[in-house]
Order: sequence, then C-alpha cells, then structure tokens
Amino acid sequence: MNCIEVKNLSKAYGTVTALHQVSFDVKRGEVFGIIGPDGAGKTTLYRLLCTLLLPDGGSATVDGYDIVSQMKEVRRRIGYMPGRFSLYQDLTVQENLEFFATLFGTTANEGYDTIRAIYSQIERFKNRKAGALSGGMKQKLALSCALVHKPSVLLLDEPTTGVDPVSRKELWQMLLSIKEHGITIVASTPYLDEVRCCERVAFLDQGHLRGIGTPTDILERFASVFNPPGIEHSGSGAIASDNVIEVEHLVKAFGDFRAVDDISFSVRRGEIFGFLGANGAGKTTAMHMLTGLNQPTEGTGRVAGFDIRTEHEQIKRHIGYMSQRFSLYDDLTVAENIRLFAGIYGMNDEDIARKTDDLLEKLDFADHKHHLVASLPLGWKQKLAFSVSIFHEPDIVFLDEPTGGVDPATRRQFWELIYDAAARGITVFVTTHYMDEAEYCDRISIMVDGKIKAMGTPAQLKQEFNQPDMDHVFTHLARQATRTSD
Amino acid sequence: MTLKYLIQKEFLQIKRNAFLPRLIVMFPIVVMCVLPWIMNMEVKNVVVDVVDNDRSTLSQRLVHSIEASNYFIFGGLKPTYADALHDVETSKADVVLVIPQHYSAQLTQQRAPQVLIAANAVNGTKGAMGSAYLSQIVNSSLPATNNSAVVAQLNLYNKHQDYKLFMIPALFAIVIMLMCGFLPALNIVGEKEAGTIEQINVTPVSKWAFILAKLIPYWIIALFVISVCLLLAWGIYGITCQGNIAWVYVLVMLMALFWSSFGLIISNYSDTMQQAIFVMWFFVVSMLLLSGLFTPTRSMPQWAYLTTYVNPMHYFIDAIRTVFVRRGTWHSIAHQAGALLAIGSVMAAWAVNSYKKNS
Amino acid sequence: MNQFVSFVIKEARHIVRDRRTMLILFGMPVVLMLLFGFAITTDVRNVRTVVVTSSIDHRTQQAVNRLAASPYFVITATVPTPADAERLIRNQKADLAIVFGPDFASKASGAQFMVDGSDPNMAQQWTTYAIQTIANPDAAAVNQKMLYNPQMKSAYNFVPAIMGMLLMLICAMMTSISIVREKEKGTMEVLLVSPVKPLMIIAAKAVPYLLLAVVILVCILFMARYVLLVPLQGSLVWIVAISVLYIMLALSLGLIISNVARTQLVALLLSAMVLLMPIVMLSGMLFPVESMPPVLQWVSAVIPPRYYIQAMRKLMIMGVGVEQVLREVTILACMTAVLLAVALLKFNKRLE
Repeated sequence: MNCIEVKNLSKAYGTVTALHQVSFDVKRGEVFGIIGPDGAGKTTLYRLLCTLLLPDGGSATVDGYDIVSQMKEVRRRIGYMPGRFSLYQDLTVQENLEFFATLFGTTANEGYDTIRAIYSQIERFKNRKAGALSGGMKQKLALSCALVHKPSVLLLDEPTTGVDPVSRKELWQMLLSIKEHGITIVASTPYLDEVRCCERVAFLDQGHLRGIGTPTDILERFASVFNPPGIEHSGSGAIASDNVIEVEHLVKAFGDFRAVDDISFSVRRGEIFGFLGANGAGKTTAMHMLTGLNQPTEGTGRVAGFDIRTEHEQIKRHIGYMSQRFSLYDDLTVAENIRLFAGIYGMNDEDIARKTDDLLEKLDFADHKHHLVASLPLGWKQKLAFSVSIFHEPDIVFLDEPTGGVDPATRRQFWELIYDAAARGITVFVTTHYMDEAEYCDRISIMVDGKIKAMGTPAQLKQEFNQPDMDHVFTHLARQATRTSD
Repeated sequence: MTLKYLIQKEFLQIKRNAFLPRLIVMFPIVVMCVLPWIMNMEVKNVVVDVVDNDRSTLSQRLVHSIEASNYFIFGGLKPTYADALHDVETSKADVVLVIPQHYSAQLTQQRAPQVLIAANAVNGTKGAMGSAYLSQIVNSSLPATNNSAVVAQLNLYNKHQDYKLFMIPALFAIVIMLMCGFLPALNIVGEKEAGTIEQINVTPVSKWAFILAKLIPYWIIALFVISVCLLLAWGIYGITCQGNIAWVYVLVMLMALFWSSFGLIISNYSDTMQQAIFVMWFFVVSMLLLSGLFTPTRSMPQWAYLTTYVNPMHYFIDAIRTVFVRRGTWHSIAHQAGALLAIGSVMAAWAVNSYKKNS
Repeated sequence: MNQFVSFVIKEARHIVRDRRTMLILFGMPVVLMLLFGFAITTDVRNVRTVVVTSSIDHRTQQAVNRLAASPYFVITATVPTPADAERLIRNQKADLAIVFGPDFASKASGAQFMVDGSDPNMAQQWTTYAIQTIANPDAAAVNQKMLYNPQMKSAYNFVPAIMGMLLMLICAMMTSISIVREKEKGTMEVLLVSPVKPLMIIAAKAVPYLLLAVVILVCILFMARYVLLVPLQGSLVWIVAISVLYIMLALSLGLIISNVARTQLVALLLSAMVLLMPIVMLSGMLFPVESMPPVLQWVSAVIPPRYYIQAMRKLMIMGVGVEQVLREVTILACMTAVLLAVALLKFNKRLE
C-alpha cells in the first residue's frame, strides 16, 4: 500500500517553475530519499506535501488523505522538519520538546518511547537553551520534536546540512530505528553515504523528476552529477619548505570554557591543509584567531610571517578568507563585488577591469557579469566567493566549510579551483565536513574538544589508526569526544 | 584610495534597495507637505460661553466684541454658570466668561468689576491662550482709566504670527535625524546579520576608511534632503531663510555628522535590527522632547534644563531658528555650531573606536 | 485548553528572556512619563528681559522692579536703544525687551514690548504676563480660573496621550514582530503543520501581550497618580475597561501587519510608519486636531488613538461620567470589531 502518492504535481512562483509534473509513490514504512542540486524544487515539494502550499496542478495524497481538501487530517499525521533549525533558540531543550508535544495534543512522556533512542542522547542537556547547542544536537532535538507525536509520515528537508560526519551517522542510525515503528520517512540530503541509506531515491533537477530507483541505480545513472571522477592532484610539487603558518600552544577561552585548548601546528607554503573536527570542536574559533578576527587568550602564532597578536592588520593584507555564511554582497552584481574587494586590497581600476574579465572568462561567467549575486545558484556563488577571496593573490586563503549543501559535481569543480590556486603557490587552509574532500588535502589535522588529536597526510592517518578511509578515521577520533557543545 | 571603492559600494547598495531610494526622495516631501499643517500649535476656534448677569449696554458691548473676534467662536449666552460648566464638561465649550451683576454700574463708578474667566485647562496651551486672549478683549473693552499706562506689543521676526515659520526649521532637524540617524543604525547591524561584515573584517581595510565610507553617503543624502526641504518651504509656504543660507547648510552638515555617527555607534553595539531600532527610538524621543523643539527649554525644570547642555538637537534647533527666522549671523550661532562640532567629533571618534575588527 | 496554556507559557518565556527589549518596554513608559510630566511645559518661566531706556526715573524703576520681582521674568540687561535690544534677542541672549518712551513718567508716551515672535504662542503669553505684571494691581478686573488643571500641568494633557501611544506600540508592534519572527526562523512552518487551530495560534500570541499591556497600563496609572500627582477623577473600572478594548484593537492591527510583513524589519518599519507617525502627529496627542486643515482632520477621524485619548482625557482628568464618552467608546468598539474580523479572515493557514 502506498503511503504517499504524487501525481503530476506542479508549482510555480510567478514565472519561475519550481516543480513541473512530478509523479511518484512512496510505500508505507519506506525510507525514501529526494536528492538534487540546490534549487531543484525539493523544499517546494516538502511544503506541498505538508499542506503549507497549494499546488498549481496535479494532486497528492499523504497517508490516504488529499493535501488540498483534507488539510487537517494530513497535518495530524505528519512530522515535518524544515531545513533551517526549527527550534525556539531561547527555550531550553526540555521546553522545546514539551511545547511541540502539547502542540500535537500529547505529552513528552507519552511519546517518549518513540524518541527514546534520540532524545536519551541529549537528555542530559535538557535545561540548556536550544540556541546554545551544537549543530548536531540541534538536529537531534528537532528530530525528537518532529517525532514526539508518533506521526505516520516523517518529512525531513536536508536534516544533516552543516552537521559533522559522526553526528550524521548517529542521526541516520536513529532514522533507521524509527522505521521499525512503521513510520514512513522522506528525507533529502546532499551526502552520498546518506543517499545509500535510503531504500529508493528520486532525483529532482530544476523542478523535473529525472529518475526514481534504488540508490545504486540512480547514482550510477547520474554518475556525472553524483559520482564525478576523482581529481588528479599533481601533488607536492608546489609545496615549499618554509612555513607560512606557525602556531604554538594557542588557547582561546570564553570564561571557563576553552574553545581552543592548546593547539600547535605549522603549515608549509603551497600546501592544502585540511582542518577537520566535529561541530563545536573549535575549528571556527581557531580560524578566527589566525585571520585576526579574535585575539588569542594564550599562546603565539605567526601567519605569513606576522604575529597574530600584534600584527593582525598586516596579516589581513596577505590572506584571503571565505566564510561558511556568504561572503559576497547579495545586492551587488558579480563585477561590482569583484571591484569592491579588489579595490579594498589596493588594486587600481585598469588592473581590476582586466583581471575581472580574465577571471569571468575562466569561470565561464562572462554572461553573468552584471547579474546580482543573489540571483546565482548556490554552487556558483561559492565558486565566485572563492575566486574573489584569492583575487589579490594572497599568500594563504582560509576556507570555512566552503562547499556546504551542494552536489558532488559542483564540489568537484570547486576543488579544481582549489588545486589551481595551490599550483600557483597559494597555501589553502580549509575546513570541511565531507570526508571525500579530506582525502583531497595534502595534510590534515583532526580537532576533538579543542585539541588536535591527529595530524598527517591522509595515507599516514589511515595507517596510524588502521582504518580503511578518512571517514572511519574521523569517526574513530570524534567518538572520543566528551564535550558536545560550544 | 580604498575609500572610493567602499563608498561606491554603499551607494550601489542604497540604489539596489527596493525601499531606500523611494524613502530618501519621498520622506522630505511628505514631511514638508504635511507636517507644517499638523505641527501647528496655533490655538483657533476656541468656543466661549458667556454668562451675563448684568444685561446692560456695557455688558452687551463686551459680548459683541467677543462675537466679532475671529479668534473665538461664540457658544451662546447661558443663564447660569452651572449651565455653562455643563457645556465645558461635554466638550461643547472651552472657556466660560462670567460678567458680574453690577458690571456697568461699577465701571461707571470707576471701580474694577470682577469678571471671571474659567477655561478648560486639560490642554494647558489651549486654556492659557484662550484665557489670555479673552482677558485682553475684556481689558480693551474697559474705558481707559488713569492708572494704567498705554502698552503696545511688537512681535519681532514673525510679524504675522505664523506658526509654520517657527516649525519649519525644526522640521529640518527631524528629517535629518530620521534619515541620517535610523538608516546608519540599521546599516552595520544589517551587515552583521547578513554575515558580510566578517568578510570585511579579514581585509586590511582601516577602521577609519570603513566608518567614513559608511558616513559619507549619509552626509550627501543630508545635503540632498535639506535642499529639497528648502525648496519646498519656499514653493509651498513662501517661507525662505531670513539669514545667510550657507549657515543653514553648515548647521545641517554638523547635525548629519552627529546623527550618522550616533547611528553607527548604536549599530556597533546591537546584535539585531530590532534592538538597534528600539534603542535608537529611545534616544531620539528623549533628545527631541528635551531639545526645545516643541516647548521652550527655559520653562523646563532645572534637571531637564541641564541636559540641554549635552543635547546636540537643542544647539541645532536654537541655531537654525536663529539663522532661519531671526536673521542671525555667524556671530549669533558660533557658540552652537562649536558645540555641535565638538559633540559630533566625539561621536565620530567613538563610532570608529567602537567598531572592532579584532576582539 | 492544555495546548492553549502551554502555548501562552511559551510565548511568555520568549518575552521574559529578551532582557534588552523588556528593559525598553518598561523603561520607555517611565522616561516618557517623566519627560512629558516635568520637562515638557509651556509655563512662562525665566523669560530673559532687557530694559531699554535712556533715563531711569521712578516710574520706569517701579515697572522694572515689578518685573524683576515676579517669578516669570529675569532682567538680564539694560541697553540704551531698541536696536541694541533687537541684537540681543537675535543672538538668543534675550526673549523680551521692554522699551520705555522718553516721557514714560509723565504718561505722555507709553511703553512697548518687543518680543521674540518666532514662537507666536509663547510670544503672546510672555507679553500678556508682562502687561499684567507691570499693570497696577488695583486695576485687575479679570479673574482667571483654570478648570480641571488649576496648576496648568502639562502632565494632565499628556498622560492619556502616552497611554494611547504606548499601548498601541507595545501591542501592535510587539505582536506583529513576534509572529513575523516565527515566520523568519521557520518555526511558523511547524506550527502551521501541527493540528492546532489557527485561531488558537493567534489567541495564544495575543494573550501574553495583552497581559503585558495591562501591566504597563497599571504602571502608567500608578506613576500618573503618585509621581506626577495627576488626580484620577473618573471611574477606574471604566478607564481599565476602555483601555482593554483599545488593547484588543491594537492587537488586531498587529495581526494585520504580521500578515503583510515577511521580515521583522518590514514589520518594524510598517508599525513605525503606518502606526507610530500618524498616532503621534494626527491623534491630537501633541498637536490640536482643531487647528489642522479639514483634509487632515478627516484623516485623523479614522485614527483609533484619537478617540481613545479623547475618552481618557474626559474620564481621567475631567472626571465626567461614562455616558459622556459613549460616542468614543462606540467608535472604538466598531473599529475593533472590523479590524479583528479582517485580521482573523486574513490569517494564512498556508505559507502564501
């Protein structure tokens, strides 16, 4: 028996088609994946299914009830977790759970059996405010809240974006255990390992359903998107012997809490250095100290030859930076953004104009020179942001989760740009939650609880911890973490 | 040099905003077209009830002179004071004039009759103005006695007693305050919320360049806005600046310096736009009320009067009225302009200092 | 019922945990009451007066002495010519000049008051006071009596106005922001997807703000009575009852705004431009409605606080019975009914 039936569903916003004639069925008790690049229409599909939007054409039923005419019945039977953290940040964990329970006319105790597997992990923080939890914990809480009323269908819109590999694994283990309660799960994800956890997946692209099938089937059929060939990395040719980053006993404390707890490492010129760690391990804080945004509490460090305590303004002259939140101005055009940042670094108008054209030519962006950044797809924005951050030929570029939320093919293109920069002698300092990207790095460090637990080339680390790939190395180390939040 | 690119960026962002360009053009126009009619404390149409206990020729002459005055609306003759008071209670009348029983007899005997004026003083201004005018009418209807000297009144500067002439320069202050105060207050918080400020903070841009790039667009907007206001004042109301118009521009620039810096300071200390607006609103209301825009600062109690020494709005309003209405020269406003410059510079320095690139 | 209570508790927690906003919510009434009550006054005080005379004789001296002795005037200078006095006034060193004719003593010529006329009202009051001060006290023929507000305190006029403004701000602005915030953060999606009735979402959002508004109302009334010493003449029951009606109206407005606005910023700007500006300007709070041109008077006729402020002035300060404010109350009740109906009908059960 089918739990969800979608027939020729269409939805447009003004002239933009978000979904075009999409049809599929989901069986009861199935784990169904919806995959596709940014802007494929996944969120629109979710909102249609939970009756938040009205379709322009076609029909759909959820648990036997029509999404247009039987809104109330549908709403009673679904659990929905929107892409963004749908929690009240100023309420505590317990308060959030209780509130969502009463919302559905039940109590946290009654629904406790369903959520036990998940909630027991965060129960010790029940008096902490949701806003103070780490990304992975927030997602676990949001999942608990969506499940507490024992829905028959669970709709999850990218529940693991921005969550570290260990938390992601745990979250999926929980989802699979929920399945045993007979709950149907529809989830979307950009991670391939998660796609493989689904029983069937649907591939959406630009509002069209391109294919449905088992994960292996779909991943193979659309290998150009999901499974691009690995990147040829010419390797250590460009790496020089001198260090551009040297850090000794660096500490950053906020009150009693040591976010970064005595780390020491060095990075050589031209190296691609992967800086890994779970959510809340202290990566971003460490990066803020290196880029001169924060003062260290203790310890010393030199970046591009300048002291991070006293010479942070000189450091800023020699680095580029791309943050996980978008670092370009949405309301400026591509050319205007480039011009602004180039101008800030003291380039003159002719140089800017010439180099802008060169860059856009290389990125195949020339047609979009005068388009607003806000109108570009996510993957393009990221490529552009990276190109802008190295436009002034810095010694080092810092990338804070530069590829969150995009499909494998786009990520691969992004890494080609990184290699290109590295070949020109720019040192790359990058954080990521994708373990396949970790393998692309020359050298990586893994942070756990504010300390660096391992450092070396990917091959060395795999050997040292006797694990088949980086994913297992990371999981092995991150499971030792005792602190769970920043 | 980098300043050029930063300023360009600010202007582009203002231009791209769906709302700001319209606001910048429409706001001064709406303010100048509507507010002078509203911010009019002229007391008109005061309704007077008369209780005439004398019913003589002289008392009727007094009643006629009230009826004839275009300042008052004659509410009618009431038999008793209680009846008239009832009218006041039901808001049908504002002032009651009671003429005593032996009014004309006492007048002819050269004695002072005791006329009673009772005014509804819930609205203090209306009550005070109504009874002040009414007592002037009563006094002038009395035959000149030998013990009161002839007293004349000469109103300087505002001969037609036009309230708009008094209020329009003050409106400049309100326009500059809202345009140059609120918009910058939202600006940096906006970048904080969008996350772009982090990107700027890792570039070698100096604090001064960054803050100046934020301030300069608002100064240019202030120049534009004030020119529109001056033109409208002349076009709609025929009100022009009595003194040298250059001083108006100097004062406006000083005011813009203060408000834009102040807006940025609040922006630097706020995490969300909501907080920025609330805090800004709090300061704006307090400064405005204590500035002497509506009521004379000299009437305030001592503690409130002391705050005017640090209130730039007070200096600005004083000075701009001096130039605009009283034909003041540089000498007349030097003291206020100096104070504005001092406060403005301190605020600008504070704005730069409170912006942290490294914490 | 259980759902409703927990919803209200959750909403109350949001309010209580936002310390800075709470501070402003309670700080604002206090500061406004103090400013309007004490600092905003058109009393004639400390009027800087210049004496213009070529020769001092006993008649002029007597007049000057009377002025100097009064609490209203301060003699700041004596200058020989009117031109000197005019310069002092222009440079804001003086407000008023009394110019004695050369033969003032012999009554052949009178005296003239030169006054800074930039503010016509104050100019009028200063001269009226000055004329009365220098006139022979025996000749006083006019007794003035200020009804309801014998000390001419501006607080009497402003307390109802502050109530009208603050209750509107708190209810309309805060409710609309709190709803739009949930839209922005994405929690509204989850609320809508739950089987809770939309009416209950609205009611649960409104109740805490209604309570907050009542608390602030009580604070204002207390301050008015015991700090500003405004006598609350009318029936307290009716004052509170009409205020609650007005609060309901403000809440409905807030709901309507939250339907239109997508972001908190838009909600803020809408409340500020559509609510705050017209209220301050057109409700008769600061500026008398009668002095406005007819077009603006018509506009002001649809502004709810106008009727609330009028009703409160009559009830609180004049102490008239409730039958005198029936008209205002009826209008307010009709407006509330219409706005509430619109707000409920427009509330979106879906995202668009």
